[in-house]
Amino acid sequence: MAKIGIPHSLFYYYHYPLWKTFFEILGVTVITSPPTNRLIINKGLNLAVDEACFPIKVYFGHVEELCKEDIDYIFLPRMVSIEKKGYICPKFMGLPNMIKAALPNLPPVIDITIDLSKTDKKLKSDVIKIGQLFTDDNKLIKRALVAATNEFYLCRSLTKQGYSMSEAIKVWAGEEVNFSKANDLTICLLGHGYSLYDEAISLNVINKLRNLGVRVVLPEYLERKKVEEYAATVPKRVFWTLGRKMVGSALYSEKNPEIDGIIYLACFGCGPDSLIGEIIERKVKEKPFMLLTIDEHTGEGGFMTRIEAFCDMLKRRREIIYEGNFSTYG
Amino acid sequence: MQYYLGVDIGSVSSNFVLLDEKLKLQEKVYMRTNGNPVEAIKKGYYKISNNMTSDKLIRGVGCTGSGRTLASILLGADIVKNEITAHGIAASYLYPGVRTIIEIGGQDSKLIILKDEVIQDFAMNTVCAAGTGSFIDQQAARLNIPISDFGDTAATSSQAVRIAGRCGVFAESDMIHKQQMGYPVSDILMGLCEALVRNYLNNLGKGKKIEAPIVFQGGVAANKGIKLAFEKILKMPVDVPEYYNVMGAVGVAILAKEAVSKSGKTNFRGHNFIQTGDFASNSFECKGCPNYCEVAMIKRDGKVLAYSGDKCGKWETTLHNLAVV
Repeated sequence: MAKIGIPHSLFYYYHYPLWKTFFEILGVTVITSPPTNRLIINKGLNLAVDEACFPIKVYFGHVEELCKEDIDYIFLPRMVSIEKKGYICPKFMGLPNMIKAALPNLPPVIDITIDLSKTDKKLKSDVIKIGQLFTDDNKLIKRALVAATNEFYLCRSLTKQGYSMSEAIKVWAGEEVNFSKANDLTICLLGHGYSLYDEAISLNVINKLRNLGVRVVLPEYLERKKVEEYAATVPKRVFWTLGRKMVGSALYSEKNPEIDGIIYLACFGCGPDSLIGEIIERKVKEKPFMLLTIDEHTGEGGFMTRIEAFCDMLKRRREIIYEGNFSTYG
Repeated sequence: MQYYLGVDIGSVSSNFVLLDEKLKLQEKVYMRTNGNPVEAIKKGYYKISNNMTSDKLIRGVGCTGSGRTLASILLGADIVKNEITAHGIAASYLYPGVRTIIEIGGQDSKLIILKDEVIQDFAMNTVCAAGTGSFIDQQAARLNIPISDFGDTAATSSQAVRIAGRCGVFAESDMIHKQQMGYPVSDILMGLCEALVRNYLNNLGKGKKIEAPIVFQGGVAANKGIKLAFEKILKMPVDVPEYYNVMGAVGVAILAKEAVSKSGKTNFRGHNFIQTGDFASNSFECKGCPNYCEVAMIKRDGKVLAYSGDKCGKWETTLHNLAVV
């Protein structure tokens, strides 16, 4: 049976259930690298070009780690666009080439181009071509694609229960995931999924907040339609898919009475973030907003200080608002 | 008299205050951390408690600053709080109605916006420490001017030279250039102060409305040049509190009183624990998983008091289990 390796990084956090289902129905064994750890980070930092953002560097480490496994193919999709008229950051477009340049002894690479900016017809025929590497049964391939799409939506629907995408993938795979259900505060936490849901990259910000008694609302949790509606209020349409989602989520959260404050986790080296963070900072006026910048540093002191101070501030503000309300009536 | 001890262990300075029941400051110690927080905590505690007849007089302890966890392990804290909250509490207690707090320390700079005594917004320098105390220290050393004279010298300047403030490295090369051109030192220093203030306002003040009353605290508030530069650029008066360099400690001491009045007792470990123990800290790389966490441990007389730095919490838990047994 053929074995295919999928790096546990970047779009893993969005699309893993899809590809896993697809390949397994075709009788292919799917192998992933372990969740990001120090060793993988160090490998990535050594291999990647300096200008790349941190999550991209980490991806290099995952690919190298995966190459140690006995795999027949490695799956490195070229992400260009996942919706009409919307794009992923250009670094993703060149990623398979960067990987091939940095790691010469790769197993055969499947670098399907995912570009839905104009039409999805090309992608479908490409996926079928990939399927044909493993089977001649075109009907099976088509069935696998339908099943894979269903599993993808099934997994994503788990985020409505408060799971992050990484937790949703675990639950989807049958693991049990517990997290603190405290809700002294509700904070909308935004960021690119591949930073946010990678515990090593995000310095485990989701659980750090939960441990401070926060209910964390993530972009996938918010109603898609509302997010798009609010995103459309900025004068020029944001053509980065993830960036537009962030802007819409932030503006929607600002008006959503459930949410006490908004945190944006940005990568120091991220081009789109440097603009999106700025747009959000300027637009969000009614609710506390904090931009947290992450990079390859491991010193968590300043990070923790900011999170704590932000939660303290939200709690104190709310106490005062409540006191104020009572006094008016009493 | 009974006291509340506030401790602020920062990157550059370690500060200790004793407040009485009425939250009036009775004693304060401001000293350099010198890269050894354990020693600084021991020494600082010794200095501040020197005139006290009994350690029973300490009713509560609060710790803040980047070394707050360490300090709470050594002293036994009733509250451990981040320095942003601590500074906000202190300033709004001493200056009711304060709207803006500018805090510049050794490695951190912060801007805190308050309304009705509550923090509404804050910003902290992200990846760059240009314009904080350690950079000013370094430049003073390069120009061979004692840091204590820096501000006064800058204040005598009548015409500040223009220095790039975006980045510490550029600021330094600008300064060297101006110095070789023959500009007087006082004008260069004042130019640097203005550059740092511009950098601070661009970085932290971006999108924030700075309103009076403004309080300027933290170690750098000792520098008259920076205060003047703030007043010149903001066109508003800037107040430097009497205890500007220990405000974080004051804030956390106030919070300690609050915490103890709720809990009814203090976690303070007492005089003997700190003074007679032989404290040592070391670290090792945990080989339990590929994360290779750098685990730090604090020992007292060979017995481990605390572990920190392990992502999974494995070492910390072993300690709790031992304590139970």
